[in-house]
Amino acid sequence: MFRSLLRQQTTVQTGFRGMATAAAQTQRIKKFQVYRWNPDTPEIEPKMKTYEVDLNHCGPMVLDAILKIKNEQDPTLTFRRSCREGICGSCAMNIGGTNTLACLCRIDTDTSKDLKIYPLPHMFVVRDLVPDLTHFYKQYKSIQPYLQRDTLPADGRENLQSIEDRAKLDGLYECILCACCSTSCPSYWWNQQQYLGPAVLMQAYRWLIDSRDEASKIRKEMLQNSMSLYRCHTIMNCARTCPKGLNPGKAIAEIKKQLAFD
Amino acid sequence: MLSLSTRVGLNTSRTALFRPALIRGIKTIPQPPGYIVGTVNDAYIPPKPHKLEGSLHWTSERIVSIGLVPLVLAPFITGTSTVIDSSMSALLLYHCYAGFQACIIDYIPARVYGAYHSYAMYLLTFGTGVAAYGVYEIESKEGGFAGLLSKVWKA
Repeated sequence: MFRSLLRQQTTVQTGFRGMATAAAQTQRIKKFQVYRWNPDTPEIEPKMKTYEVDLNHCGPMVLDAILKIKNEQDPTLTFRRSCREGICGSCAMNIGGTNTLACLCRIDTDTSKDLKIYPLPHMFVVRDLVPDLTHFYKQYKSIQPYLQRDTLPADGRENLQSIEDRAKLDGLYECILCACCSTSCPSYWWNQQQYLGPAVLMQAYRWLIDSRDEASKIRKEMLQNSMSLYRCHTIMNCARTCPKGLNPGKAIAEIKKQLAFD
Repeated sequence: MLSLSTRVGLNTSRTALFRPALIRGIKTIPQPPGYIVGTVNDAYIPPKPHKLEGSLHWTSERIVSIGLVPLVLAPFITGTSTVIDSSMSALLLYHCYAGFQACIIDYIPARVYGAYHSYAMYLLTFGTGVAAYGVYEIESKEGGFAGLLSKVWKA
């Protein structure tokens, strides 16, 4: 009986084509136009370089494509990437006109159109697709994104929080600080030296409403000027572009509401 | 190809030639490299809190904008009165003032344009003053905005 089973299998393999074997595929060449600039040759202007990738031999996401380009065509192409699953925020870039994470952005399979990839807009470029986020991180540091308390916890061990209070932080704590929203905000383009931008303001709000935090007064005080918070004109590009589906615009509106009669 | 070369590398010296003479004459304050003040590890220092520029300004802006809605609609429903008309004009004037103020802060920031920011603010204040005088004239001699508008409508 065992032998007969084995024999059956061999006939299947020779007689029919299994489902997993590849059919003769036509090439699906997609053109990627990538922003290139090298700080070692500053006299050469930034330019768009076109790469051709066969989508049949490439993963579904834009990050797969640019990794393939870097591995097989041009090792000098520079970009940040780490987790390839949208949790680190390293591969934020402007893809097809929208700020998003390359690892969460599907390649448009329409091969008649080129896909353009730029670094995050209105940031200083370190090289190719790598923006300089130093100022962004300095701004994040300025909102003091850590728990501040004057009193010790009641039980002497940990700062407890009710389930309702914890639920207030949902939609805020998920932010990975990829800077997609801040760099999509026209107000941030004009005044990024002083305007904190949606990503940082959303984190400011996250610490403002944390029931365990006791530094609300100082946190609100630092926003009481014309630049830090009130350069937000509710353009709402931030909520549209967020690759994590969060809504920084709403968080900023909530801060304004809290400050309104302060 | 032409469109590509014009789109990338916007800050080349070539484009500077095509800037209008008025803008070329304005000296802007150079910004620190990468906008980084202090070392890269220092936190960014926000501008000092200001009583009139913070939440008070924002709240008054909102109250005025919301208050304008019934004041603009009232003449169509109840007919005009000097009180409604002049308060509508005053609020509208402040609404415009605050709007232009926001534009100046956005586009002519003191950080980059220095004294020009103040000049723009003075000009705005002066213009608002002239407009306020005009509103007073219209209210006292022409019989208010609603009356003026209905006259123009009929003419």
